[in-house]
Amino acid sequence: MTLSLDSQALILLCSHLGLSAAPDYAPLTLKDWNPLAKKLFSISKRPSALLDQNKEELMDILDITEEEAERYENLLQRSGTVAIELERLKSLGIEVLTRADEDYPVRYKERLRESAPTILFYAGEKALLGQPGVAVVGSRHLDEAGQACAEFVGNACGLSGLVLYSGGAKGVDSISMQAALTSRGTAVGILADSLEKSIRNPDNREAISRGDLCLVTPYSPSAPFSVGTAMGRNKLIYTLADYAIVVASDAEKGGTWAGATEALKSKWLPVFVLDHPEMPKGNKMLIEKGGLKFPHPFPEHHLKLMTWLEEHSSATIADPCQLSLF
Amino acid sequence: MNKDHTLKLLRKMIGEDKDFRPGQWEAVETVAIKKQRALVVQRTGWGKSLVYFLATKLLREKGSGPTLLISPLLSLMRNQIEMAGRIGIRAFTINSANKTEWAGIEEALAKNECDIMLISPERLNNEHFLKEILPKISGRIGLFVVDEAHCISDWGHDFRPDYRRIIRILQMLPKGVPVLGTTATANDRVVKDVQTQLGPGLSVHRGPLTRESLRLQNIRLSNQCERLAWLAENLPKFKGSGIIYCLTVADTERVTGWLKKKGFSVEAYHAGNDGNMDRSALEQAFLSNETKILVATVALGMGFDKPDIDFVIHFQRPGSVVAYYQQVGRAGRAVEKSYGILLSGIEDDQIQNYFIESAFPSLQVFQDILRVLEQSEGLSLYEILAKVNTSRSMAEKALKLLEVDGAVGQTYDKKVLYFRTPNAWRPDIERINRVQDLRRSELMQMQDYVDHKGCLMQFLLSALDDPNPAPCGRCANCVGRGLPAQVDQKMVDEAECFLKSDQIIIQPRIRWPFGLFPDLKRNIPLEYQNDNGRSLCYYGDAGWGNLVRSGKYQDNHFCDELVNASVHLIRDIWQPDPFPTWVTAIPSTRHPNLVPDFARRLAASLQIPFYPVIHRIQEAPEQKMMQNSSMQSRNVINTIRIDQKISNGPVFLVDDIIDSGWTLTMAGYLLKKQGSGQVYPFTLAQATNRNANG
Repeated sequence: MTLSLDSQALILLCSHLGLSAAPDYAPLTLKDWNPLAKKLFSISKRPSALLDQNKEELMDILDITEEEAERYENLLQRSGTVAIELERLKSLGIEVLTRADEDYPVRYKERLRESAPTILFYAGEKALLGQPGVAVVGSRHLDEAGQACAEFVGNACGLSGLVLYSGGAKGVDSISMQAALTSRGTAVGILADSLEKSIRNPDNREAISRGDLCLVTPYSPSAPFSVGTAMGRNKLIYTLADYAIVVASDAEKGGTWAGATEALKSKWLPVFVLDHPEMPKGNKMLIEKGGLKFPHPFPEHHLKLMTWLEEHSSATIADPCQLSLF
Repeated sequence: MNKDHTLKLLRKMIGEDKDFRPGQWEAVETVAIKKQRALVVQRTGWGKSLVYFLATKLLREKGSGPTLLISPLLSLMRNQIEMAGRIGIRAFTINSANKTEWAGIEEALAKNECDIMLISPERLNNEHFLKEILPKISGRIGLFVVDEAHCISDWGHDFRPDYRRIIRILQMLPKGVPVLGTTATANDRVVKDVQTQLGPGLSVHRGPLTRESLRLQNIRLSNQCERLAWLAENLPKFKGSGIIYCLTVADTERVTGWLKKKGFSVEAYHAGNDGNMDRSALEQAFLSNETKILVATVALGMGFDKPDIDFVIHFQRPGSVVAYYQQVGRAGRAVEKSYGILLSGIEDDQIQNYFIESAFPSLQVFQDILRVLEQSEGLSLYEILAKVNTSRSMAEKALKLLEVDGAVGQTYDKKVLYFRTPNAWRPDIERINRVQDLRRSELMQMQDYVDHKGCLMQFLLSALDDPNPAPCGRCANCVGRGLPAQVDQKMVDEAECFLKSDQIIIQPRIRWPFGLFPDLKRNIPLEYQNDNGRSLCYYGDAGWGNLVRSGKYQDNHFCDELVNASVHLIRDIWQPDPFPTWVTAIPSTRHPNLVPDFARRLAASLQIPFYPVIHRIQEAPEQKMMQNSSMQSRNVINTIRIDQKISNGPVFLVDDIIDSGWTLTMAGYLLKKQGSGQVYPFTLAQATNRNANG
């Protein structure tokens, strides 16, 4: 594996690899890492400068307390166990991207700035991350119109060369993703569930080996699904895409609602909401909060999807901010 | 100062009068003080384990994390671990056999009370180890030790796919983590290759290989009877204990049987398929000289350290100079005079070629396994075997290679499941060919050794790229005399008689293969199982084996000599009780009369009737083409039938060659279902290749 030294340092400091569930020294959260990254930047050093440094040297370089230095030292020293774990992941088809990598999705840095995850684990074609495309979100349980819409958007993306972004879960995610893949398109799944397990699914595996699918997660590849992880990764779906379509949402509760309101507030991208007579109450409320109406059935030819979305995007979008930090 | 301190530690471990052997301190210094990478190539018994124990001690004193030692031969390290305890080194090993101790080991790790952790290469890919145990090493590994480091190179004399994984891990390690590779034998090419794989910073510490006490001699006695006779005549000349190496499990059993009969204190040692052998008890009895001679396959392997072995005799010729040198090198570590005698015979090349041919699964097997895995989310080994026509050991080999190639992964859900990864896979035919060509050239070199007229030790040392190979002045070629190469004809006749009467038991199968009858229990009900049966010989063996072969493939007729020998075995040696009242046979559609004709003559000689009640319904592929239990029994069940009333007395069930045993199991099942009495299988020969390599 060709991991840059900067990435090695980030993995040692920020990932859970090679650590037990309740480690003596916890890896750095975003809140811990960001100030450290700024410090490094201000003294013109790269993360790799921290590799192989002992406590005293770390205190010296970073001007930090002994306590902090001890934590960094311990995390940095586990290169042996991390090498073993990275080798195993690689042999399963799982690789790593860090904020210090050139291939790290630019959109995360632009839109999420300091909230961009330090580490991403992925399987499949990483070039898909951030390509023009549409995010489809919605609950696992769908009515008929929702199902039809998920399938329609998936197909339309597949046939018009757009990436279909989803959470890779059951329901709306997998319906739209499979629709995109069967119409010979491409898809990205941003998982809240175990990446290791997801790539064992024969459909996913085949699409990954064809280069049509990339599954990615900011969590440990073996971490099982939890509500917390699902909430945390919602913004990672929105922030990779050009447009988002909310197919079905509960009102004022649930992951879809939380993610959609966050996206509306942050103005990362135009957010559309499926609009039809029997739509769930959540959809209605999201439209009231500024969500754009996405009609069902779609009034035009499916290859017009992108132009239609473009023409109907009136919301002002926040200016991207270029952040050069790792 | 460091050196003095280390010397003190060394003396604490092995004795106050001891000193560093040349090279030992330098190796310790490289990894523990300079924190660099080192490869130590030193003969067995030189003290490689001292190097990593001392290095571990020094590193731990300076606050480094524990050492991770990766070795395929963990079971043989008990003594070394004890020795390390003398300088306060606490060693732990994690393996599938000590699961009950894992919790305690995890605790020791968490408290930083483990100094060295010993694991097998397979463990590096074990989910539990990676997720539960490794993280407890307070996150850091102070030193990586890779034992049998020649396996890092494809040019090494044994091929272990797992070492690919080790290479990749070591290549990902930052420079500051020291690495120590150790091996007893690596020629120039292997050393160079290991250097390329592990980086130019690797320093090589290499010592001389010669053993001062060893007297080598080669004796050519082509047939087995002569070699058995030679053993009986010459073993009494050795005072102490020794090892006799054979190539196959069957040979170890036979040689042991013969020597026991001749009154020697001898036991067989192998990793054969019965799994009942208590190998550590055998080792203990041998170490304490309770057993004087072990007749062993390569299962008695590297790391077995008995200092007072007087002789190592090879009943058959090993496949390479390295293998031979390592095996013969077990003699004479702490005795003044020891002997290494290589006997060789006509069957050697045939067996070696079989080993080479069967070392790798065929491309078809790889592809079939991937195909069935691609249609699933994960399958157990048994589920794979039910769908792929290959033997269990071949499937395991293929899975191992596919795993190391990243094409297949393993997970655990009540049982081990294999699954296809998204990584692309292309067969590395070139690599397989390269390894097989290497094995063939090693075999040729070994053939040259047998015929070598000059100094034998010098031949071995030059073949191993020893820095200073010189004539030894001790081997039979140097001194011009040795043990006799002739044997007494009377003893040869006796050995031949033994070979002919050697009883080969057919164990009845007690379980149906997996997946065959999903609705039935896997155990075959006791009332439908066969009794113990007998085979006259091993197929192709010197005794009757050659007659069976020519009968089957040349004459389409088994000669009367075989009938008489069978009658002799049944009446005089076996004497089954209750004695069968009739004989039946398994016909083949390709040779419909061959076996029934033999069975009819056998029945006549035993003066009981022959009833041909078993019929073939369709042409089946030859059973030996069916490579695993599921396939074999499915093959049989579709093709044999009994559709008449049969005698209710006990019966001899006759076939020519027993391969898997499924034909006999199934036929016996059908006979008993139709109301026969006990079923005693009898075959002329037993195929040997399935348990050849143990």
